[in-house]
Amino acid sequence: MSKFTLLLKQLYKQKLKSKAFLLSTGFYLVLISGFIFWSDIKALFNDSDSAADVVAVYNQTGANIEEYFTDTTDMEFKEINSLDKIEGALEDGDYLAAIELSDVEGKLAAQFYSYEPLKFSLQQDLTTQVETAGQLYAISQMNLSAEQTKLLMDTTPIISMKAFNNEESGKTADEKMAGMLGSYAAGIIIYIIVISFLSIITTDVASEKGSRALEMLLVSVKPETHFKSKVFGTFLVAITQLVVLIGAVLLLTSLKDGGELWSKITDYLNELSASYYIFVVAFLILSILLYLIIGALFGSLVSKVEESSQVMMPAMIVIIAAFYVMIAGMNNPDTILIKIFSYIPFTSGMVMPMRMGGTDISIVPPLISLAVLAVTVAALYYISITFYKRSVLTYSTGGVIQKIKTVLKVTT
Amino acid sequence: MSLKLEHVTKKYRDFTAVQDLNFEIEKGEIFGLIGQNGAGKTTTFRMILDLQETTEGTITWEGKPINSVNRDILGYLPEERGIFPQMKVDEQLYFFGELRGMKRDELKKEVDFWINRFDLEEKRKDKAETLSKGNQQKVQLIASFIHKPKFLILDEPFSGLDPVNKDLLKNAILLLRDQGMTILFSSHQMENVEELCDHLCLLKRGVSLFSGSLLDLKKQYGKTKLTIRTEMPLEEANLPGVKEIKNIKGEYLLTLEDESFAKGIFDVVSNGAYIEKFSLDYLSLDEIFKDQVGGVHV
Repeated sequence: MSKFTLLLKQLYKQKLKSKAFLLSTGFYLVLISGFIFWSDIKALFNDSDSAADVVAVYNQTGANIEEYFTDTTDMEFKEINSLDKIEGALEDGDYLAAIELSDVEGKLAAQFYSYEPLKFSLQQDLTTQVETAGQLYAISQMNLSAEQTKLLMDTTPIISMKAFNNEESGKTADEKMAGMLGSYAAGIIIYIIVISFLSIITTDVASEKGSRALEMLLVSVKPETHFKSKVFGTFLVAITQLVVLIGAVLLLTSLKDGGELWSKITDYLNELSASYYIFVVAFLILSILLYLIIGALFGSLVSKVEESSQVMMPAMIVIIAAFYVMIAGMNNPDTILIKIFSYIPFTSGMVMPMRMGGTDISIVPPLISLAVLAVTVAALYYISITFYKRSVLTYSTGGVIQKIKTVLKVTT
Repeated sequence: MSLKLEHVTKKYRDFTAVQDLNFEIEKGEIFGLIGQNGAGKTTTFRMILDLQETTEGTITWEGKPINSVNRDILGYLPEERGIFPQMKVDEQLYFFGELRGMKRDELKKEVDFWINRFDLEEKRKDKAETLSKGNQQKVQLIASFIHKPKFLILDEPFSGLDPVNKDLLKNAILLLRDQGMTILFSSHQMENVEELCDHLCLLKRGVSLFSGSLLDLKKQYGKTKLTIRTEMPLEEANLPGVKEIKNIKGEYLLTLEDESFAKGIFDVVSNGAYIEKFSLDYLSLDEIFKDQVGGVHV
């Protein structure tokens, strides 16, 4: 077994058994399960037998409006004949709220009653229901035939795209939405992995350096071998966590509602092209490697483990900035800011997939961005190896810049 | 000849850590590198271990440049103590052994032997972070030579050890030497160097003040330390060739200009007086060290 393999194996086993890895994986699994089964969890806490989620409807219009209100999992509608005792009924919790419907100059008017002020979400739900009912009420006043009503209600247009510039894809809104969601997921994955594993690799190198175990290792292992083992070992641990989490998502979504959620997700995923997936995976791998290289290098700068958070800070700020740029780009992925960040190697992994998914760009910009990222990773890797040899046994104080200066001073 | 340093210099931008250092270590010898903090000992070790490059000069092992030899022939115990805190004691030793090219079944015998010898049997399945400082140091020491290196460097191996463990370590070093291992070590505790080393190099601010046998170093100073226990008040006696006289717990400690004055002093002191003790010795290494690097004249 080569020294690299031995170090890699030792790091992988140690990290996989570490409390930090087990706790973080467990935490993410709970989070994912909670997200997927949110409606079931909510149902557990909701007392379905309670009358509190019943909304009373008092209809004075004479039209058959009650049927325009649709019961949901959170509330159901019940017609009442009088508002005489409504205040007492609301106070007793018999009804969550009451709606009085009347006709004002041919338009539907609604008066909401409640004992306590209504929650914002409930108010929104009721408003939406009343708005729909109002539209249907207005249509019913026109005395249209059933076909005419159906045609009027089915207003969703049939949209297809054709752009005359052949280099650009001309995606439908559904494709773009799927692309945005896919990119958002990839961005979140990069963000979470970088935030967790940047800290792990920096602390790991700093701890070995601070404890001087590194000096014993470096007698028999070349610094570059040690550096490689740290970067690729931590990368493997990160990928392992990712595989576990993706596996959990696949399993849980296939279990949810008899696979209904899974089929919805696959519908979305099918909207995306194979090249999109290849790009996302390439950006994901290279971005994680980029930050792990930076983490190992920064870890080699500190003299003791307590200083690792100080040196990690610049990289953390960059990844957080990239995350916020990505979030900002969710609303409008065509801005110049997003375009610029999609080429910067430290942020492109999170921003370029979003542009690819959410805008009509040709394959050229992602290729350029990926190439820039790959060249940066390669260049940083070789620079880091050279610098690591010098920094890993140099002990200094001060900030990152001061530490770099000290390394250069005492090793040249 | 195992290790040879010739005109080795290490310069940084505005600082020379080691200057024109020369010494040789025979195979199976224990060699001491002594000097104050900042004398250049650790830098010298790192250059020998190829962790730092020399600015000038050459370092060879059995005639070959040190950076061309197989790294697994080397063992190193750094000055600062540290092992993998989360790893169990025996796992730690297997890991370092395997890293240096030994197979697990070959290592088993060595691990069992040294764990037993250093009285760590009950701790072998404990994580390193739960051990006392002294026990951690013992584990780290075993890890430095578990692969049976040809050449072992020990940087301050005795610091922080209690007298019982110091003896354990001394005996271990002698055993390793008897097995043919060449050992270079540094220590601030001169009695350990004096006890273990035949040859040494004395460094001051990167410059070698002396390199050679311990006896030669002592001979340079001569037998100038005279201890006398007598009832005669020596402070008032007119003794020839005495640089300094001290009365320590009933014994007179005299520093002579030259050992030739000893006979004259004996004649004066023994003239009609009873002498319980009259002992002429070389200076101890500790005294020589203080004189050389500390600038204190004894």
